[in-house]
Amino acid sequence: MPELKPAGDSALLISFGEAIDEEINGRVHAVAGTIEKAGFEWLVEVVPAYSSLLVVYDPLKATYAEVESAIKPLLSAETESFRGRLVEVPVVYGGQYGPDLEFVAEYNGLSVDDVIEIHSGPVYRVYFLGFLPGFAYLGGMDERIAAPRLEKPRLKVPAGSVGIAGRQTGIYPLESPGGWRLIGRTPLRLFNPSKEPPTLLQPGDRVKFVPIDESEFRGLYEKEWGEGID
Amino acid sequence: MRGLIELLSVPSLLTVQDNGRRDYRKLGVPVSGFMDDYSARIANYLVGNPGNAPLLEFLLTGPTMRFNASAVFAVAGDVKVKLNGVPVEPWTSYWGKRGDVLEVRTLKSGLYGYIAFAGGVKCEKLLGSCSAYPRANLGRPLKAGDRLSLSYAILTGREGRYLSPELRPDYSSKEREIRVVLGPNLEHFSETGVKTFLSKAYTVTSESDRMGYRMDGPVIGHSQKGAGIVTEPLIPGAVQVPANGRPIVMMRDAQTTGGYAKIGTVISADLHLLAQSRPGTRVWFRAVGVEEAQEILRRREKTLKAIEGFLAGEMGAYRIKIGEEERIAFTKVEKS
Repeated sequence: MPELKPAGDSALLISFGEAIDEEINGRVHAVAGTIEKAGFEWLVEVVPAYSSLLVVYDPLKATYAEVESAIKPLLSAETESFRGRLVEVPVVYGGQYGPDLEFVAEYNGLSVDDVIEIHSGPVYRVYFLGFLPGFAYLGGMDERIAAPRLEKPRLKVPAGSVGIAGRQTGIYPLESPGGWRLIGRTPLRLFNPSKEPPTLLQPGDRVKFVPIDESEFRGLYEKEWGEGID
Repeated sequence: MRGLIELLSVPSLLTVQDNGRRDYRKLGVPVSGFMDDYSARIANYLVGNPGNAPLLEFLLTGPTMRFNASAVFAVAGDVKVKLNGVPVEPWTSYWGKRGDVLEVRTLKSGLYGYIAFAGGVKCEKLLGSCSAYPRANLGRPLKAGDRLSLSYAILTGREGRYLSPELRPDYSSKEREIRVVLGPNLEHFSETGVKTFLSKAYTVTSESDRMGYRMDGPVIGHSQKGAGIVTEPLIPGAVQVPANGRPIVMMRDAQTTGGYAKIGTVISADLHLLAQSRPGTRVWFRAVGVEEAQEILRRREKTLKAIEGFLAGEMGAYRIKIGEEERIAFTKVEKS
């Protein structure tokens, strides 16, 4: 049974253990959906992560004990299996778009083409979103292309940059400082507040990177952002 | 576009805030909203707004602005306010008439001050809220030359609503107690570590902003499980303790998930007290149970409702003495 405990006076944390595991994460999203659909008037929102789920509630509408006893039966009930969408993410690898691609190749004794093939091979899982609006914690990267973070983070990483940090890969949703090794860039907009939902990726989605060339990148970029790239 | 209110000078961080963003945390979008919800709500009540109406939040030093049309305003904070060069009172509502210049100076205590206008500041709601979160281009800090509009008829609000000094929050103390609910990662701390956290003073450092407050003080010891956890969701108020043993309290713009063990979470009723603590303020953390924390919040809500009623003229306030302690009590005003 998952463990329930208070996270302050307005949230309850459901912990399904410490493993980073697709099946457990699937359970996290299934339970999240069940709680959202139950129509509790005290519910503010649910926030999933790898193997935990935060239930944020209005403490002026329900006490901790009331929230706990309302949630408990939903955990033992058979939850529907959860399967997110498959989202294809086009990426232009290397060059000015992925200035660290060669480093990642050299570091692992591979060719640049090997890195592209290995990175765009698997179907990644969006375990959850966090860190920045629209940033997806992706699971499933091949350890053969793992690489350490930069010693000195860049002050400005463009939105859409695809990077590697340790055994993780991810996409910067916004222009921000960052220390990941950049191997490419997607023309897609990961976070757009004027859209509903505002993020390209949703918790539980699956992601497939598709290599594209620079002219495809430019075309897609203009379509997505409504302006050309310099 | 002709805005109703023109900002003439903006000496420090000035943003539009309301009570924050709901329902987007699962997409990584922070809650944001009033750093001090207590003062902000009272500022709104002073001009007859609902407590969550969008208003201006300033850090330390307020802006100077000109009214291009008349509007009722109120300033919440321990601060000198001038209208056309003439001192007026904070925690009081006034008419700003066309051409008037409102100057809000530097807070004498606390960190965040509020300027509310009857009708609320008009804004483009992004993801359901007016709260600025510039890191993700959800709004931006305001600057000199910006013009603001108000949301509805300008002839709303009433002059002369006044909150007596006894009812104002007091942020002047250099030391304060902040209550926490322990956990949710208590097993990552040694027994001594928890004892240290609850018995020693922690000082707010200057590395503090709307995202989080870094505290300095005796090292909080971890257990064998260490400082790192499998990244999990967190809420404002969460007290993360990285490997250096110094707590960081997450604030309104905090990221939605984190990988450091959390020793406790500041209770909802006290988070504004910490938000208003300047660097150098000494904080003593005290543990309360979750039931007690929720009871404290319900009492605070009652007080705020009573203040709202009092400012609307629906409640009277008078002083009572319970033992040695003097309190303010509220009663309904009888309609004749």
